[in-house]
Amino acid sequence: MNAVPAGAPLPPPPPPAAAPAAADPAFVADATVVVQRVSVWFGPKVALSELSCSFGPGVTGLLGPNGAGKTTLMRALTGLLPVNEGQVRVLGRDPRRDRAVQRSLALVPEDEAVPAALTARQLARYRASLHRVADRTLPDRCLATVGLLEVADRRLGGFSKGMRQRAKIAAALVSEPQVLVLDEPLNGADPVQRVALIGLFHALGDQGRTVIVSSHVLHEVERLASRQVVVIRGRLAAAGDHHAIRDSFADRPRSVSVRSPQARELAARLVAHDAVRGVTVDGSTVVISSPRAGELAELLPAVARDVGARLYEVRPLDDSLESVFRELLR
Amino acid sequence: MTVPPPPPPAPTPAPAAPVPLPAAARLAPPFLAVVGYTLRACLPARRWWGVLLPCLGAVLFGWLATLPDVSTARAFAAVAEQGLFGLVLPLTCLVIGDAVLGADLRRGTFPFTWLSPVPFPAIVVGRWLGGWLVALATLTPALVLATVVAGVPEGAGPMALAAATGSAAYIGLFVMLGVLARRAAVWSLAVVFLGERLLGGVLSAIAQISPMWEAQQVYARFADDAGGARLLRDGTPDGWSAVVRLALILAVTLALASWRVGHLRPSGGDE
Repeated sequence: MNAVPAGAPLPPPPPPAAAPAAADPAFVADATVVVQRVSVWFGPKVALSELSCSFGPGVTGLLGPNGAGKTTLMRALTGLLPVNEGQVRVLGRDPRRDRAVQRSLALVPEDEAVPAALTARQLARYRASLHRVADRTLPDRCLATVGLLEVADRRLGGFSKGMRQRAKIAAALVSEPQVLVLDEPLNGADPVQRVALIGLFHALGDQGRTVIVSSHVLHEVERLASRQVVVIRGRLAAAGDHHAIRDSFADRPRSVSVRSPQARELAARLVAHDAVRGVTVDGSTVVISSPRAGELAELLPAVARDVGARLYEVRPLDDSLESVFRELLR
Repeated sequence: MTVPPPPPPAPTPAPAAPVPLPAAARLAPPFLAVVGYTLRACLPARRWWGVLLPCLGAVLFGWLATLPDVSTARAFAAVAEQGLFGLVLPLTCLVIGDAVLGADLRRGTFPFTWLSPVPFPAIVVGRWLGGWLVALATLTPALVLATVVAGVPEGAGPMALAAATGSAAYIGLFVMLGVLARRAAVWSLAVVFLGERLLGGVLSAIAQISPMWEAQQVYARFADDAGGARLLRDGTPDGWSAVVRLALILAVTLALASWRVGHLRPSGGDE
């Protein structure tokens, strides 16, 4: 392990390993975190299997159902967990072997474990000391950022789950990390705090930091991050913008809900077309299933015009991250 | 590499009126921060009871030495061997040594320290030092008091030296076991009672690497006029040689602990 001269600037990283083609949505051009063919197993259980992807500045959502391998990946990214195969590079360095990279890296773990005897301020100051932070007011500013300054002298043992999460986020922020890894950071937070934290993560991403946020709450990730990396059963299932991920399932049927007073006439005409796999009518709503969404987009107005139907609403049913996720799990 | 400025306060759920920041004290250097964390976070109230009760027991052992109808020095030698070095010293050090690292690891709070640029040896030595300071403040005075209560005040100095050096090595040993073994407390008890007391009692080779026996030999040599000579043991270093042996045990255990910390998979708490 390399000893880090305290306060010394981080020496230039070794040249990064050749990243796969930038066209691959799993990889970003300006990657700060690169995961290459990483496998991790615990005895017979394979937690990650030949997973390759990268993360760059901005907020990236790490998605997956419980047990998918998100936490394992995050622990591998920060060096807490050695990988059995493949390699992880953070700012061009191995976070497991190179202690210097820990200066630019922070993890907010999912579990509730906190040093219960410490106050929130003591925890933040402890991490600031470990990182040789020069600005002595930074711990308090970070506590203010997460809204905990007024209770900064209360022991963490008496904090609620959401407050503990925020205390851990404050402690992570004191080192002003270039790469911030947050494992389910919104767990236990109330709606107001969620909004504030999501705003904070966006602000950090806008500053050019790499913010990796895991969650299994899909609508949250949709608000949090424009880019998602989806891990299912330890493998990379998809990556990129969730609309793009959805579009990549061109061969799978998509569902569109159409509201019209002439729903039955519309359904009768649509069902005859090749671009429509099936229709269901429920009152004034027609749900159309189509294997070719592009063709349907042209067909629908034409048919509506032909039957003289007025369209009040046309809404894709499976464009949300949730439906993408459901699709990936199939 | 320049680190961008801290996040702006704009997206925070701060109250309407800005909360004034209190004047902040200077931040401690990393090593001192580790020592401070050890003292603040690693020894909750229950652990303090686990430290203070054996210390109280030590004083009672000293009082017991005044009861038998034999010379005080002779009685205290027996009490010191069986009670102070054989029971109080290892048990108190076990409570402290396990608390400073092993328990932190099992609780899942060690990643707060592990995920930092502080070198592993500095973390381990800082944790050990925090534990040793606790032992110096509690165990050493208790053992010295036991000597005085027993009516052997001339043995107080040697007892202080034996307690200080013995606890240093013992805490190093238990820090090492805390990161090496999953059920560290069970292993630690096995090392003390099966390894040191049982095997060390008959095998000098074991006694030579045993904090219990070596601490006893420190006291035995320096307090030989106060009845300590009865505790001298053939084939085991005593006096300053025992102090050096204890320092070696400490160095080896801390080196092994540092190596092990670098190979850990600190988790979110599993026990």
